[in-house]
Amino acid sequence: MTDTRTLNEKISFERHTPKILKGNFAASEAAKLCKAGFIPAYPITPQTTIVEELSRKVATGEMDATYVNMDSEHSVFAAAMGAAISGERVFTATSGQGLFYAHEVLHAIAHFRLPMVVCNVGRPSIPWNIWADQSDSLAQRDTGWIQLYTETSQEVLDTIIQGYIITETLDIPVMVVLDAFYLSHTSENVWVPEQSLVDEFLPPKKKKGVEVDGYNPKVIGGLIPPDQYETFEYAWWKDVLKVEDLVNRVGKEFGEKFGRSYQAVESVNINENTKIVFVTTSTITTTVRGILDTHPEVGILKLRLIKPFPEKSVVKALSIVSDDTVIAPIERNFLGGKEGAIIQEMKRALYGKRNFKMYDIYAGMGGKDVSPTTIEKMIEKINSNPDEVIWIDFD
Amino acid sequence: MAELAHKFLIEEEKVYPGALSCRGCGWALLVRHIASILGENTVYVVPASCYSIIAGPFGLSHVRGSIVHTVFAAAPATATGIRAALDRMGNRDANVVVLAGDGGTFDIGLQSLSGAASRGENIIYVCNNNGAYMNTGIQTSTATPYGAVTTTNPNPSYKKTWPKDLMGIVSSHNIPYAATCSLAYIQDFRKKIEKAQNTKGFRFLMIDGPCPPGHKTDPSQSISIARLAVETKLFPLFEVEHHRVKINYFPKKDVPVEECLKLQGRFRHLFKEEAKDALKEIQAQVDSNWKRLVKLEEISYQF
Repeated sequence: MTDTRTLNEKISFERHTPKILKGNFAASEAAKLCKAGFIPAYPITPQTTIVEELSRKVATGEMDATYVNMDSEHSVFAAAMGAAISGERVFTATSGQGLFYAHEVLHAIAHFRLPMVVCNVGRPSIPWNIWADQSDSLAQRDTGWIQLYTETSQEVLDTIIQGYIITETLDIPVMVVLDAFYLSHTSENVWVPEQSLVDEFLPPKKKKGVEVDGYNPKVIGGLIPPDQYETFEYAWWKDVLKVEDLVNRVGKEFGEKFGRSYQAVESVNINENTKIVFVTTSTITTTVRGILDTHPEVGILKLRLIKPFPEKSVVKALSIVSDDTVIAPIERNFLGGKEGAIIQEMKRALYGKRNFKMYDIYAGMGGKDVSPTTIEKMIEKINSNPDEVIWIDFD
Repeated sequence: MAELAHKFLIEEEKVYPGALSCRGCGWALLVRHIASILGENTVYVVPASCYSIIAGPFGLSHVRGSIVHTVFAAAPATATGIRAALDRMGNRDANVVVLAGDGGTFDIGLQSLSGAASRGENIIYVCNNNGAYMNTGIQTSTATPYGAVTTTNPNPSYKKTWPKDLMGIVSSHNIPYAATCSLAYIQDFRKKIEKAQNTKGFRFLMIDGPCPPGHKTDPSQSISIARLAVETKLFPLFEVEHHRVKINYFPKKDVPVEECLKLQGRFRHLFKEEAKDALKEIQAQVDSNWKRLVKLEEISYQF
């Protein structure tokens, strides 16, 4: 749960230092606090300042890690894979085209069941655009990575720390997603925990005996015949089912330790009187928060965990609202379908359980500003019974 | 005598019997020699290639050492990550060795290879160059020789372009050691493996890989044909330390390329009347390549 108390100057967190950080710098700070030992890197806007800052931290000795300038994102992820195979704690970051280019290796990392945390600062594909968009990460939903979307710089830092617990518990890689510029390049108040506090929460990476260390010969990744392949997928699937509860548990334990707790989804102003629930991700959530005072009939279902989709949490959050409530996902992604990615997941989660009227709203792609006025326009559109799919700035 | 034997013979076997290679394949033999010298504290990184299969399916291993199977295009990148992690855990003595084919080296893996070479990664890269995508069934790569047929360059549209000068490309990265090796010259090959092992930084070995199904040769002829490739100067033996070239073997007499090509079914069509110009062209190119190599050696030590 994004703790709005971070914005309150009167609140302070013990064993923390208040800083003003951009989302990207919060990410670098978190990688350092988590003692990532291997950072393969390749520049791409708007992620670049994350790895630039990490290279500086390593060069000055502020951080003990091996930082390598790679030749492409495909190589970045292949190197990350190699280091994780040999048991190192790995961190890197990418964006848009870089993530698309690494797609093959994303699958390999997940299928090898390798723990790591990677930041993706979302931007779309061709024609060239470097601004906020989630089509890059949402297009990787089926690579098997856990995906956590962040709203504030504080949440970026906190989520990366939680991400390492999650990934090293289940051996499923974690992608932490930031909105380009609105989050990556926007300075905010961030409470940075002391190293010792993070160390108490996140111990050094445990060896599991499967690491390729050279001393004890091992083979990883040889050809698997048809009668055995599913064995691995089945074991993986059983762990995928644990993700939602684990994200909630780690978010709660994080809260006990650091004073800021998180969940797979956050429910804001959802009650018996709610008429419209906007389903949001990342920074658009903040904008919708801003209109709640003038629109008490509106609630927010903020998705923090998107893959695997937190079905139980979503159903629970909506259990209180009546059947005539409108559910309206805001889609900062276009993936070539009639509907965006979020409504597909929502329908799947609610199928057979609730039968809400759902409007899908395409908005904010390629970094287009979604202002409070835009949100009010969405409310107007919904109230005028439009088509099921709304392009908010068209027709 | 023992010293001499060491130059030729494997004293301690580091591979298991039962490699899944075809008869007469170069992979099993070259890995056998490499493993016997590098020892068990070695991580072999294998991109898609014939060796992905020969190394053994899940749960089995051809070699006494570790094997990491990885994606086709990025074996040197995977090796980079493994090297970094081994160094950080204190196993600096471990060898990290990429075992790739020519497709994974000349084509899809070239960028990743160049990246690792440029960074001076402390790894050994071994390319078994058998001149085509053999694992997928003999398709043309940019290592495929001029004049050869493959399933994607069937006769009469046999390959009419020259293979990439990969040794030139790799050694242009100013790496400490790059060498060509032949399974017909085991003493030279073993010496080069040892030299690679005793050098730090990015090291590169390219082996002329016999492939009976792909080259359409008799498996019993693999070593003879590899020897003829060196004797005809189709595959000269040389090494490059930084930019300095050293030729390791000067053929005693001029053997025409036909002597090597005629034993390989992939060049059969070149011996028909209509293709005689192609044969001449191959000979001319081989002669010119050799002269260039000799010149490179001559000037190597003038700077």
